[in-house]
Amino acid sequence: MLKVDHASVFFAARDGRTVHALDRVSFDIPDQGFVVALGASGCGKSTLLNAIAGFLPLSKGSITLDGRAVTGPGADRGVVFQKDALLPWKSVLDNVALGLTFAGIGRRERRERAEELLRLVGLADFAEAAPYELSGGMRQRVGIARALATDPGILLMDEPFGALDSLTREQMQELLISVWARTAKKVFFITHSIEEALLLGTHVLVMSPRPGRVVKRFDIDFVRRFVESGDTRPIKTAPEFSELREEIRAVLHEGENLRSAA
Amino acid sequence: MSEIIQSSKLTSAPAQPDVRLVKMAEFGAGGRSTLGISLATAAAILAAWWAVSHLGLVPHLFLPRPDEVVRQVGNIYRDGYAGASLADHVSASLFRIVVAALIATTAGIPLGLLMGLSRWAKGILDTPIEFYWPLPPLSYLPLMIIWLGIGETSKITLLVLAMFAPICLSAQAGVRSLPLERVNAARALGASRLQLFLHIVLPSALPEILTGIRIALGVGWGTLVAAELIASTRGIGYMIMSASQFLATDVVFVGIGIIAACAFTFSALVRAAEALLVPWKGKL
Repeated sequence: MLKVDHASVFFAARDGRTVHALDRVSFDIPDQGFVVALGASGCGKSTLLNAIAGFLPLSKGSITLDGRAVTGPGADRGVVFQKDALLPWKSVLDNVALGLTFAGIGRRERRERAEELLRLVGLADFAEAAPYELSGGMRQRVGIARALATDPGILLMDEPFGALDSLTREQMQELLISVWARTAKKVFFITHSIEEALLLGTHVLVMSPRPGRVVKRFDIDFVRRFVESGDTRPIKTAPEFSELREEIRAVLHEGENLRSAA
Repeated sequence: MSEIIQSSKLTSAPAQPDVRLVKMAEFGAGGRSTLGISLATAAAILAAWWAVSHLGLVPHLFLPRPDEVVRQVGNIYRDGYAGASLADHVSASLFRIVVAALIATTAGIPLGLLMGLSRWAKGILDTPIEFYWPLPPLSYLPLMIIWLGIGETSKITLLVLAMFAPICLSAQAGVRSLPLERVNAARALGASRLQLFLHIVLPSALPEILTGIRIALGVGWGTLVAAELIASTRGIGYMIMSASQFLATDVVFVGIGIIAACAFTFSALVRAAEALLVPWKGKL
């Protein structure tokens, strides 16, 4: 279980003022949980992910993963970035195996495990390709395979499909859900798309800016139906889906209005 | 992939030869090859040289004929010039520039990387480098000669100083241009500090380092000839200098040609190294 307990982050802005980026955020991600942080830009969702990844220390509060406190980056948390940070001088296979290289695992085992992961994300035929020869969606798949290579306890995904066209995005959502169902990983996923949040998450944290905080939490189960049927259309057209979408939209707008009134 | 196949079909097998192929209007020089224009220009310059020298428009003392220069290459190759064979002159110059390039690279790359990684290293090294780097090497050549004599040491030191700064500064720039996301990705995969350096920092900085080496070699040739003009008994620069004292303009032309050929070869070698080591440069 990942436990975030009263996490607060204060930054020093360039003009010397203090920015309250994250305000006493508490939640947890149970095993096999898929938690989506949803909100407009500036609501602190990326700050929260950076803190869980260990790139950013907290000003107050704590984060623990399976009982161990998070104090810095580590291979127990796999990160998928919005802009894939693949290494252009390594092949797709070696990019996937990067974490195994760092762990000192031998060449043959590295290759086997990386090939297995490439099959999982449907890129078995592209092992020897260079990352810059791939399309945006394929590169994100490499990013997912790479993050899974060290068998982390949780996947942290920072708007991984934000830069993709909507068709590729739907394919990637399906791929992610099938990977999630098969590997049974915990996932923390950031998006600003309400539909994506509802489709993927078992829990949705609706966040609001200034200070960045969780305003409402929804526990949902559309993703179970998604896993069973593999088809998104009946889910998206279901009345309870659109009801919830409107409810979340209202919550998001409320946060916006409060901010502009203040 | 399919786009490439399709477009090559279009150009290689024009089913309708009367069709008008169009493309977006370009701006400026665009991306089309200039090789033909460049070759034509070279031919025009040679023709003009030949015409001017044959018609006697310029006194022969100032401008030798092209065929004289070619013949002079043969003469110098056979008999040497100014007390040394052509091979001696060329190898003396090549020795200086290669040794200086090796020293400048071995010192410049690690120090530049260090400057990119450590605030202290940058703070300390910035001061001397920023002070001496903009100076023309010839301005401190007299000091080199006073301190180190007129032998090889002063010339090679001068070259090292001239070539060190571009290599060092480019290695530093290579580290500083490293995207934070790439570093964070490696950290999240469990990279140690050493692994981070070897697998991420070094390869990321390599394209900039190679660019720095190419610039350094250009600076090096300029500085080398200048150094040989002043205190030397061997070298292409020396050959040019002594020829000019006898108004042997054809030999001066030969020397210039040799330097141009050497500098071009060095530049081509670094470009080949770039194609081999960093084929991914500018991608991703």
